[in-house]
Amino acid sequence: MATTKSKQLNEWDTLHRNGPFPLKVLFQTKLEGERVMPNKIDRYNDAAREIQRLIKAAHQSGEGFRAYGSAWSMSNIASQKDRMHFNGFMNISMPIHASECHQDSTYDSTNLFLFECGNTIKEISETLAENGKSLKTSGASNGQTIAGCISTGVHGAGLDIGSVQDYVVGLNLITGPNLDDIVYVEPASKPALNDNFIATLNSKVIRDDELFYAALVGLGSFGFIHGVVIEAENVFLIKRYVKKIKKSVAFELANTMDFNNSSFKIQGETDAQGNGNRPFHYKIFINQYSDESDCVVEAMYKKPYTNHYLDPFPIIKESLYRDLIHLFVKLAENFPKSIPWLVKRLRKTILPAVNEETTGMLKEIFWDAPYQGPAFACSFGIDHKDSEKVMQLLGKLTRDEGPIPGIFALRFVKQTKATLGFTKFPITCMIEIDGVLWKKTRKIMSLEEYSRRMIEVLKANSIPFTIHWGKNSDWKFPDLVTHMFGDKAERWKTQRKQLLSNDMQKLFSNKFLRTVGLD
Amino acid sequence: MKHIKFFLITITLCLLTSCYTVRLRSENGAPQPDPFSDRDDYYRGMEVVEIDTVINMKLTSKDFTFLIKESDVCASGKLNMVEYRNTFGGVLLSAITFGRKRKMKIKYVCEKP
Repeated sequence: MATTKSKQLNEWDTLHRNGPFPLKVLFQTKLEGERVMPNKIDRYNDAAREIQRLIKAAHQSGEGFRAYGSAWSMSNIASQKDRMHFNGFMNISMPIHASECHQDSTYDSTNLFLFECGNTIKEISETLAENGKSLKTSGASNGQTIAGCISTGVHGAGLDIGSVQDYVVGLNLITGPNLDDIVYVEPASKPALNDNFIATLNSKVIRDDELFYAALVGLGSFGFIHGVVIEAENVFLIKRYVKKIKKSVAFELANTMDFNNSSFKIQGETDAQGNGNRPFHYKIFINQYSDESDCVVEAMYKKPYTNHYLDPFPIIKESLYRDLIHLFVKLAENFPKSIPWLVKRLRKTILPAVNEETTGMLKEIFWDAPYQGPAFACSFGIDHKDSEKVMQLLGKLTRDEGPIPGIFALRFVKQTKATLGFTKFPITCMIEIDGVLWKKTRKIMSLEEYSRRMIEVLKANSIPFTIHWGKNSDWKFPDLVTHMFGDKAERWKTQRKQLLSNDMQKLFSNKFLRTVGLD
Repeated sequence: MKHIKFFLITITLCLLTSCYTVRLRSENGAPQPDPFSDRDDYYRGMEVVEIDTVINMKLTSKDFTFLIKESDVCASGKLNMVEYRNTFGGVLLSAITFGRKRKMKIKYVCEKP
């Protein structure tokens, strides 16, 4: 039997100390050992029964229940004041065989894998690499669990790939305490698994596009995500370049995404006519306190896999003294005018080294991010054509009403089909400021006030936008979700109501959901 | 007086410079998590095993091997990270006991099972 340990607490916090948030009990479930229960599907189903037992106990106590993974979200989206469940030890993985695929499946079965919720991106990438496969994209690092990634819409900078949720082909959800409260949801328009295999997971099959795309970025509120079926691809290499180029060129690319006709060219990354190739990944770093005409950009190009490439890892990785970061924060809080100077001093730590070239697999390029202490990040999704304008607006706000201890970066991501996916534009520019977490003083506004001003500035300039669900914002800003998603918010709520009973809607809800009006 | 000051400064410098940590981390694999931990250092959220002991060696033994056991705090029985701390006191202890007593101050995190 899977076993659960619990701990009575008063509060819980995210990895980056964005809380604390109130909590009564924290649970963690460990799978039955392989020696006792060697069959993976048996262990998977055994864990499902244990989760249902916990759901039942929470329900009987009239309390809420919420799963979380690595606690990387900076908003309170993962928090639940009653009962929270740490999923990290639920990390079974299974390849899907051709005999388990639906007769109408258009997938290459060798690319399909079922991962239990607590598998981190790093674990998944390693499992896939053992099978000659790779994830299509990931976030900038690898510590998030797969369930956490898709629930909040984690993205990288895949211009033509999308976000993590965009390669999910099916979801195994536990929607309540009863035997028939386990469902496997996949789109009717693109089925992947056959009914016989789904029956081995003790799950009912639901093939429905509207439900699947609503549950895909489900904000942790479409039940307990137990398993995720993803589509991988053959392992590949990425060649990463860091260049310093004119801001005007960087933003022309951001606005047009036309790499073919740009003056931005990298030797070896051009076509037969000498025009620039379209990169796999494009990212612009902007220090809003610098009036330099140049900026740093990161471009990555996909290459076929070969064993022969230079090790992309350094031998030694150093990290800043935490006391130095603490000093930075204290200086920022008490002498905000020193922030631009401090940012400039720390640029070598914050920005990648110019002219750096590395080659590696996706899992090597987007490797571990060591914990560096309390941090914040505010991240907006906008149409890529608005990139330059929004950078000017938010840069001006940050200089004039700040300064704020962070710098901006812009990444570009293909449109998602998820109903509440914040990468909703044909190519979404995710413009983000991240840095060290500070406390409001007489001289510097709070993070919430800063976040509110960012929303106000975008609204005042009629810029359509979304906000990353897992990042800091003024989430109680009036009608925020309706403004961002229009009628999609109601469609999402309708699907949630159809999937979950009234009691379970309440059980799987939290303060975040109520704040944004999605409960 | 001058000599005492010089002696104290030398000892202080020795103590400060001889006390350092070295961390080894596996490129692959994930560290075993510990959601109940409230650490706020490099190991935030990880299940860390800390050992601070003195190993007594036999006269005939050249070295020793400390075995990492499979347990609740090391469910895989495999290592992901090791940090050892070298101290002036540890070096001194080993020197004056001719290597028979060896100070062992380490932290390790196992692979996630």
